[in-house]
Order: sequence, then C-alpha cells, then structure tokens
Amino acid sequence: MNTIILGIFEEGLIYAIMSLGVYITYKILDFPDLSVDGTYPLGAAVTAALIAAGANPLVAFPMAFIAGVLAGTVTGVIHVKLKVRDLLSGIIVSLGLYSVNLRVAGTANVSIFSKDSIFNNPIVNAVFPEGIKSLATVIILFVIVIVCKVLLDLYLNTRSGYLLRAAGSNDRLVTALAKDKGTVKILGLAIANGFAALAGGIMCQKQGFFDVNMGTGTVVIGLANVIIGTRIFKNVSFVKATTAVIIGSIIYKACVAIAINCGLNPGDLKLITAVLFLGILVISNMKKERHKKNAQA
Amino acid sequence: MKKNELMKRAALFTAMAMLTAGLTACGSGAESTESVSDTADTTVAEAAAEETETSGASEESTVSGDFTIGIGQFAEHGSLDNCREGFLQGLSEEGIVEGENLEVTYNNANADGSIASQINQSYVGSGVDLICAIATPMAQSAYAATKNTDIPVIYTAVTDPVAAELADAEGTPVGNITGTSDKLPVEEQLKMVREILPEAKKLGIMYTTSEVNSESSVAEYKELASDYGFEIVESGISTSADIPLAADTLLNDVDCVTMITDNTVVASLPVILSKAAAKNIPVFGSEIEQVKKGCLAAMGLDYVELGKQTGHMAAKVLKGEAEASDMSFELIAGASFYGNTKVAADLGIELPASLTDSAAEMFDTVEE
Repeated sequence: MNTIILGIFEEGLIYAIMSLGVYITYKILDFPDLSVDGTYPLGAAVTAALIAAGANPLVAFPMAFIAGVLAGTVTGVIHVKLKVRDLLSGIIVSLGLYSVNLRVAGTANVSIFSKDSIFNNPIVNAVFPEGIKSLATVIILFVIVIVCKVLLDLYLNTRSGYLLRAAGSNDRLVTALAKDKGTVKILGLAIANGFAALAGGIMCQKQGFFDVNMGTGTVVIGLANVIIGTRIFKNVSFVKATTAVIIGSIIYKACVAIAINCGLNPGDLKLITAVLFLGILVISNMKKERHKKNAQA
Repeated sequence: MKKNELMKRAALFTAMAMLTAGLTACGSGAESTESVSDTADTTVAEAAAEETETSGASEESTVSGDFTIGIGQFAEHGSLDNCREGFLQGLSEEGIVEGENLEVTYNNANADGSIASQINQSYVGSGVDLICAIATPMAQSAYAATKNTDIPVIYTAVTDPVAAELADAEGTPVGNITGTSDKLPVEEQLKMVREILPEAKKLGIMYTTSEVNSESSVAEYKELASDYGFEIVESGISTSADIPLAADTLLNDVDCVTMITDNTVVASLPVILSKAAAKNIPVFGSEIEQVKKGCLAAMGLDYVELGKQTGHMAAKVLKGEAEASDMSFELIAGASFYGNTKVAADLGIELPASLTDSAAEMFDTVEE
C-alpha cells in the first residue's frame, strides 16, 4: 500500500512540474497550448541522449529546459508572428517535434537503466541508507518541485512576470505600457514549455528510458491538474495558485491510482478523466453564471 | 454574496466527494483482494516456496501454496493476447493454476506509458509475488518500478532485451528480471521466401518509425538479405493513417513483401493484403496469426508457445527453484513453417513440399 502512495507522489510531483507550465499558458495567458505533448517527450529525448552519451545527469536538467524553451518559442512565433491560431500552432509544433524527438534520441526507445541518474547514483545511495531508500525518489522530486515553484513565484513577481500576467487578463494594459504583448506571449510559452520538457527529462531519469510515445495525452493531464488544483483552492487565499496546481497534480494521479487498484479497465480511464474534467468545468461555470446574476441584482 | 460563495464551494466539494465515493465504491470488491494479498505477501510465498522444495517432486498435481501475480500488457493486440494466454497455460502445466492456487490481476496500458508505470506501481504496492510484463515498454517500466523491491519480473515479447538494457551483452539479466524474446527468425524467413519465390529480387518491408523492435528487425533483414540474393526496400510510416499510401508506393516497387512484428503495421494487415492481392504480390507473415489472416506463409513465431515458455520460467521463479536474476533470457526454440494454401492458390503459387511437409500448421481458409 505504501508503495502505491509513494508511486502517486512520484508521478504526481513529476507531472506537477509540467503542470506549472500549463498553468502559465492556460491560466495566465489564456492560451490552450498543445505543444506540451511534444515538448514533454522532447525533454526526455534530450535527457536520454545526453545520459546515454555519458553526460552528468544534472547537466541534462538545464539542457532539457532549454530545448523546451526553444520549442515553446517556435509555438509563440508561429502564433504571434505568423498569425496562426493558438490551437493550431500547438498542434503544428507537437507534430513536428515527433520527428525531432526521434532524431534527438536516435531511436524510438532508449534505455538508460545502466547509467547513473539523479535518483540512482553513488551519492544518493550513500546519503539514503537502505531502509529509507524507497523514499529517496520522492524526497528528491519534492525538492525539485519546490525549487521550480519558488523560482516561478519569484519570476511572476518581477516586472516581466507582471507583464506576463497582464498579457492574459488585460492586454491593453501591456500595450499602454508601451510593451509588445506578442513578445510577452512568446516569453510565456517559452517558459511553459521549458517546464514541460524539464518534467519529461525527470520522468525519463526516473523510469530509466525514453519512449517516443511517452508524450501522448500530456496536455490533458496538465489541464486536468491545473483545473482540479485551482478550482479546489479557488477561495483559499493563503494557498498560492502554483501550490494549488501541484496539489491538483497529486490528486489527479491519486484518482488514477484508485481507479486502477479498484480493477477498473485502464482503457476506460480517459473517459473518466473527461467526465471529471467536464464536471469540474460545468460546476465552475455555474458559479460564474450566478456571480453575474448576483452582480445584476 | 458571501453565503452564495460558500454554497457554491459546498457544491463543488460535494461533487468531488461523490466522485471519490464512486471510485472507492467500485473499488470495494478489489480492495478485499488487495488486503488478502497484503497479508499473503512475501512470507506466505516464501513459505510456499520452501514447502515445495521440501515436499519434493509432486509434479502431477497443483503446487501447494498461493501465488499472486500481476500481468501488465502494453497494448491490446492479437499476438500479445496470445502471449498472455500461453503464459497462463505454461504456468498451469507447472501446476500453478489460475483460480486454484494462483490469483491473477491483469491490466492493459493501452499503449499509454504513464498508465503502464502506474499499473506496475500498483502491483508493487499490493505486494504481488511476480510481475509478468508483456512488450518492451511494459518490461522497462516494470523493471523501474521493482528496482528497490525483491519482486521478480518475467517479461515476454521483448524483441531485443539487450538494447532495452534489461540484459547485458551476454544475456545475463541486469536485475531481478528475465523472460523471453520474440526476436524474429530472419534468416529462416529469408531462406523460406527464396525457396517459394526463386526469382524474386526486391523484398519490401513496412515498419513504424516509432517502434524500436521493428527498427532492429529491419536492420537484421538488411544485413542478411544479400546472402539470399534479396534487396530490401523499406517503407517507414509514423501512424496507421499513412499505411494505404505507403503500401501503394511500396507495392509498385517490390516483388514480394514480408511482415515483421510491427504493432501498427500488423494492425492494418488487411489493408496491405487487399492492395497486394490486387497486384498479385505475395505477402509473407511473421507469425501464425498473420498467416491465418491471409499471408502466404511464414517462418515464424507462435506467440502462444512463446508465452508457454515464459510461463515455465515464471513457474521456476515462483516455486523458488531459480532466481530471475540468475536466468538468462530465452529465445523461442526453433522457427516453424506456417502456410496458407488458399492464398497460394489465389496467387497461382505452389508451396514447395519441402516446406509443407514439415509445416507446423497449414490453413486452407482466410480468416475474416
């Protein structure tokens, strides 16, 4: 039973990093970014290629992030400069990334079991004695997630971060400040996809292999995490949105684990996710409607 | 205003609670099995293993002791289903019978990597005695999930365990994991095609670029083709939507086509067969199911047999006769010939007696 809970936290924390990215695009920029399906495995491909070539697992972190930033920039440029609709620019980029990922990794499936990773190396094995070794992965992930969250929180409070937030909710303000809202959007997409790629890279190190199909459905998981998290903690003022997204991610993975453990056919999971998704959206829409009515009355 | 706010939140929470309740309600049945396996856990399994060792060779009846295993299959797919069936048959041949002394939990990841890893984690969590992983990504994920535990993993339908880093170059397992490989008997297949079609020059192969198994098969075909006077024409696709066009192009350029165990291409076999039939081009299969469906012939695998062989390995581990970490992975012993006389007649080809005489099975109909 303990392993299941550990598993939920492991998976949930990794997807939380990706969800922080989806939070930027979907919640802050109001941009449904589908390129995540391609950038998540891109990070894994970069990580697998580097580690297979003998690079230090820590080096794979910034490299995966940078790869994601580049891909996100492409989505942004396609949308802002080439005036392609938001959904389409994401689809185009994630489609193209499939081939890029194959090229980067070399083949469709790369194993790095035999190499050191951030979860399995002489230092980690020395720090964590045999008894609590199973906790090591969760502890390491927890630290990474907290670092990501704090960095994102700090960034959102900088001048550039304020502009990013303004671009989503009130883009006239950005223009009034004599800033180009397109550039702000590109920047947001770049950071968001950087997080997605970073998450993919960490997943690759945790599971010990890259598979070209591992990105399928990432964006749906990301959206579900963001929506579950932000809805539940909507009116709890002391919980920051970024924290809410991380908790939402763990809740989502817990639901999946419960479903699998109660013998549900994993094939039906997507339908359940869809229903859960719709349910939360409908309920929150009902709330908005009533707000409006109240405002009128 | 405040009151309304509260009510809405209450509504949201109720909805969430109902959902969770629904999930747990449907789980109540399975939870009981979980608690059973929790108590059964390793102690019972170990005791059972010791018991069988001391009681010696009582092989005719079922082995005493209760075993719990989790089977994780990567995708829904005829060959993989056969593997699973064969696996359970193999276990029962060794006296470990589902429903009697074996409790089996089966889950299919439907080709979703994140679900695959959660399936394996749930097996580890419920403390199964052994995990059976079917297909490469499932085996890799099972290995990752069991790394810090003593749960053995037995895999099957992994084409290249060495490339997947589940075994080293000598075939020794990298951990508490072993199984069987479904590596194609490429040389035998080429020999057979040459025997049936003495004149053929260009042999076409279609494969999915995302399937690493296929890549290694194609590479092996290319390496051996010239020994038998063939030139390989390859056609890589990325999704099943590409298959009709790719098939048209490929069939214009080749004398015959051979299938490999590529999941996407095999799933669209009927499309390729009907296009090939229109051009009177023979298509060779890579395993029994494909010959049933209308491939001319195959020197190939019987996945049920492969599964059985895997089941025997798993039985050894469960009974405590061997450790998974000490057993090298196995290849299926020998390839067998499968032919389809109906397809041969349609193509106007006669299958040589040298092959049909030693055939494992011949078919005279095409399964729809």
